[in-house]
Amino acid sequence: MRMVVFEDATWSNLAPIAYLRPVFELRCGFFSLYDRLMSVLPCKEKGLWVRDYLVNLAKAKYGLPVNDPSFFTGDLFLVNGTWLIKHGTVVDMHAEGAVTCGGNLVRAVVKEATAQRLWKGDFNAFLAGLPAAIPTHESAEMMMSYPWNFIQQNPALITEDFAAAGNSGIAGTMAKEAVVFGDPKAVYIAPGAEVHPLVVLDTKGGPVYVDKKARIYPNTRIEGPCYVGEETYIMSGANIREGSNFGPVCRIGGEVEESIFHSYANKYHDGFIGHAYVGEFVNLGALTTNSDLKNDYSTVSVYLNGKPFDTGDLKVGSFFGDHTKTSIGTLFNTGTIVGAMCNVTAGGILPKFFPSFTWYINNKFMKGYGLEMMIKTARAAMERRKRTMTKEEEEVIRAAHELTAGPRLAAVRKSRKG
Amino acid sequence: MEKNEIEARVKKVTAQILGVDEVAIKAESLFVEDLGAESVQSLELVAAFEEEFDIEMAEDAALKVKTVGDAVSFIATYVK
Repeated sequence: MRMVVFEDATWSNLAPIAYLRPVFELRCGFFSLYDRLMSVLPCKEKGLWVRDYLVNLAKAKYGLPVNDPSFFTGDLFLVNGTWLIKHGTVVDMHAEGAVTCGGNLVRAVVKEATAQRLWKGDFNAFLAGLPAAIPTHESAEMMMSYPWNFIQQNPALITEDFAAAGNSGIAGTMAKEAVVFGDPKAVYIAPGAEVHPLVVLDTKGGPVYVDKKARIYPNTRIEGPCYVGEETYIMSGANIREGSNFGPVCRIGGEVEESIFHSYANKYHDGFIGHAYVGEFVNLGALTTNSDLKNDYSTVSVYLNGKPFDTGDLKVGSFFGDHTKTSIGTLFNTGTIVGAMCNVTAGGILPKFFPSFTWYINNKFMKGYGLEMMIKTARAAMERRKRTMTKEEEEVIRAAHELTAGPRLAAVRKSRKG
Repeated sequence: MEKNEIEARVKKVTAQILGVDEVAIKAESLFVEDLGAESVQSLELVAAFEEEFDIEMAEDAALKVKTVGDAVSFIATYVK
């Protein structure tokens, strides 16, 4: 049986974080999707099928047959590289058949005779022909089809991976002035890792795994579930909130929440990154911040293949392709896609007076969505904290809107002329 | 003001704000899906139309307008 891990034509939905790598190298929990597949589905003979421009890179990295039709001898086990396989999954690799999810191929056992018959030289056509050629059934699998799927699955996966790893306790160094707040068995400090004084590892929400030679510097709080990868440094004063995952050799400061830093990414300084996937060798300048929640609490759209796409999720941050850099003070809107190798610089100095009920966007004062929408949003914000806007409170808002009309309209008109 | 003049000026403003070619703008063009307007640019369009036609529009109704043609009709209700 020969296993082929493949990416199909849907890879573009994972831009920009998959521009410079096969999709199965994206990380969630402790591991990449590929490493996860290999740990659950061991197979002696493996091959890969990737985009044409990734072939040489994949060959150099994996030392496996890549995009090699001559590898299609014998029975095949085809596996979609975006399949998030769970620990302990058992797969029948004997009976010929395919499993789809939402119409996309998840995995397939293809006998040699079938493969020879269907192969016409085009891999995507080969995949497309399988459901008609072999027994196929739909299944509710977890496919990591979009960048935000990684963020959504990350917290639970960190917890599962911690349990599966079976490691607990202090094998590295933890200063006596550092504290575990919660279950001490939910912490693992790997050999060579250092936890400095005045660090708080809060395991009340989930485990904290600090991998080999990582360092956690003083006055840092880490809230589980959290995975800190090998040789990653969490800088002094950092506030690492739940559900975050740092690949190897990252430098992380400031505030991070429910985000994935792939590897070799730098965010040394203050600034907030939340519900984001930060690619490899990204450098985020000081005070780079992304929004992960819209001010009207509606679902977030992102640009996918050039068009706006509703994620259906309220908490969506930014997605940074590899090697992108930001200047100090760069501020990203909710659901921003930042391609690979970008250089993004921030805007200028702000005015000293902001009239009430104005929106200040791109250095201009605007009326924004208008009073009715502002009231609707205010009502939603209050309800999130279990308060109801009273009739009297609404009347006051309307009165204040009228009272402040002069400076507001003056600022708006001045902006239009400028 | 005649509707065809309104349409010409709406297309000119749209091209400026969204950075698209004026010739590519049709009455049935959707601001978001076809012309790529993001939420911030939608606000800028409303502001620019108000400036162009010297009118004040109801923002929440203005922001519900989806196509260039609908914008022309909407603005026509304000313009004398």
